[in-house]
Amino acid sequence: MTGMLRVWASFVVTIAMLAMPMRAAAQPRPPDVDALLARLDDLYRSTSSIARIEIQVTSARSTRSLRLKAWTRGEDESLIVIEAPPREEGTATLRVGANLWNYLPRISRTIRVPPSMMLGSWMGTDFTNDDLVKESSLRKDFEARIDRRSDTPPGWWVRLDVKPGVVGRWARIDTLVSDDLLPIEERHFDRKGRLARTMVFDDIRMLGGRRLPAHLTLTPADTEGQRTEMRYLDAQFDVPIPDDTFSLSRLERSK
Amino acid sequence: MPGFMMSRIAWRNLWRNRRRTGLALTAIGLSVALVLIYDGMLRWESDWLLATTTGPMLGHAQVHAPEWRRTRAMDQTLREVPRLVDALRRDPEIASATPRVYAPALAALGQEGFAVLVLGVDLAEESRPTRLLAGNTTRLTGRRVLMGRLLAAQMGVQPGAVIALVGQGLDGSLANDLFTVAALIETPVDLVNRQTIVMPLDEAQSLFVMSDEAHEIVIYARDPARAAALAARLNGRPDLGRAEVLDWQALAPAMVDLIRLVEVAWVFVLVLVLIAAASGVANTMLMATFERTHEFGMLLALGTAPSHIVRMIVLESLALGVIGALLGTALGGALVAWAHHTGIDYAALTGGGPSQLSVFGMNWSLRIYPRLALIDIARVVIAVMVTSIVASAWPAARAARLQPARALRD
Repeated sequence: MTGMLRVWASFVVTIAMLAMPMRAAAQPRPPDVDALLARLDDLYRSTSSIARIEIQVTSARSTRSLRLKAWTRGEDESLIVIEAPPREEGTATLRVGANLWNYLPRISRTIRVPPSMMLGSWMGTDFTNDDLVKESSLRKDFEARIDRRSDTPPGWWVRLDVKPGVVGRWARIDTLVSDDLLPIEERHFDRKGRLARTMVFDDIRMLGGRRLPAHLTLTPADTEGQRTEMRYLDAQFDVPIPDDTFSLSRLERSK
Repeated sequence: MPGFMMSRIAWRNLWRNRRRTGLALTAIGLSVALVLIYDGMLRWESDWLLATTTGPMLGHAQVHAPEWRRTRAMDQTLREVPRLVDALRRDPEIASATPRVYAPALAALGQEGFAVLVLGVDLAEESRPTRLLAGNTTRLTGRRVLMGRLLAAQMGVQPGAVIALVGQGLDGSLANDLFTVAALIETPVDLVNRQTIVMPLDEAQSLFVMSDEAHEIVIYARDPARAAALAARLNGRPDLGRAEVLDWQALAPAMVDLIRLVEVAWVFVLVLVLIAAASGVANTMLMATFERTHEFGMLLALGTAPSHIVRMIVLESLALGVIGALLGTALGGALVAWAHHTGIDYAALTGGGPSQLSVFGMNWSLRIYPRLALIDIARVVIAVMVTSIVASAWPAARAARLQPARALRD
């Protein structure tokens, strides 16, 4: 009886070993993880960018839209100015390094966001202030590796695990990247390993001479009926941006 | 032997050795007085603990939207709050009901932002004695707010300063406006002093686009002891809809434990003191029976039933206990009454130091006004009586078992 089992087992193992190279051959080779992350980081930003974006926030109670214009330069500087609705027109956020300032035209005040408010919502969306500041530090704070193959949709799951000693909100980020190296989905796991939110990328189109997903949907895991959608209306990349764009004096003239 | 006669004999026996009986009475009396003083302090402490816990912030019960306690999300509000508050205020068991708005916000004097909590309240209601803003006389009209003193110190805000407040409206919009700090406040609640900006309810509702909504209605019961029953009854009221009503014990379990601890603390002291009283009574009675061995032998020889002797000894010891307890009650009661009138400065007793302590996020006063309830006195008097009877068991048993012939020779 055990003899029979052993024969069976070796038979199965042999078949499996024969099958493996065939499967691998049918698949594309996994991408280089560092190059992939660099590409993802660069996708919406490049060396500099100017984009117009529409944001729609849906909650159980209400739906709200914002239209904004965003300038970025390098990894550390960005300026976001709200263009609509009229009630919030001219409200702006300036980021330089880890610092974040909001300009509020209604009361003509510029206020720096304190560290304790970094996890607070940015302008009532599901994005946090921290998302704006931390957007460029993925490669620095996380250990990345190709995790597994995805068949539908075809692509690779890239797993990012936070490096020991890094203080932050996420313990792990799983990113699904298509075979043409565009993001499809991102899952953020909190420090207790629970899925906290999902970001889905779709509607791939040409924007500023690049192919990229123009529509992003961020869905928090814990609040039913809640999501924030972001749609790129237009974008320019690698255009010259004046030095004083990312300054407090410019912030207060943002209208 | 008729009872009254036995009592008279017992009474006379008690005073055969005046000095010994006097000493025993002093010991029992002082013990009882001590217990009463301690009880008085405990009773004040638990009353005061309850008042301090529920008075300023917690109330005896609270009404919330069902998810509010878990998420503390801005949009978990009670609707039609004026109607709810009116309905609650008409309830015969409710002394008062007051709505509150809690909104996280960013406050700034200059460019530096500080995380704060905006508390929207019914100012007149919250300014009543023992409430959050007790003693407050500042009226808030036209974008004027109160600010916690510690928060003001941190932000460098003086009364009269204009601050910006930025938060999120319930419709998702950006709530932002300028407010004048009318006065700084110091409340019994640490969080309020450290992090809070208080504004009138309607001002908070309009800043955060809340129409007739609020996050909480705080209820003060006519009888705080019935808070749990009141909350349970309100939970079933159809006009409160899906709202959740919880009594303060469910809201602050840590405080309940603390109050219970204070309430049972009297048992330990009572037991300690009663052990002292029991040994006093037992000692006195044992001495008394030893020196009366000859007399008991005579009584037994004359045909007195041993049970009579036992009864006499028990009566003597009971009389000792009761007189001692009454003397102690008089002394302890007088001391507590006096202390209740003048108050005791605990801080001075313990050698200076602060006149307030901050524990559990509450500021505790160190001036105490002990008081006694009838139950405290009844408890200790009965306990001393029982102790006296128990303590007389040994001497009584010894006397009952005497052999008349041998006892007479002693």
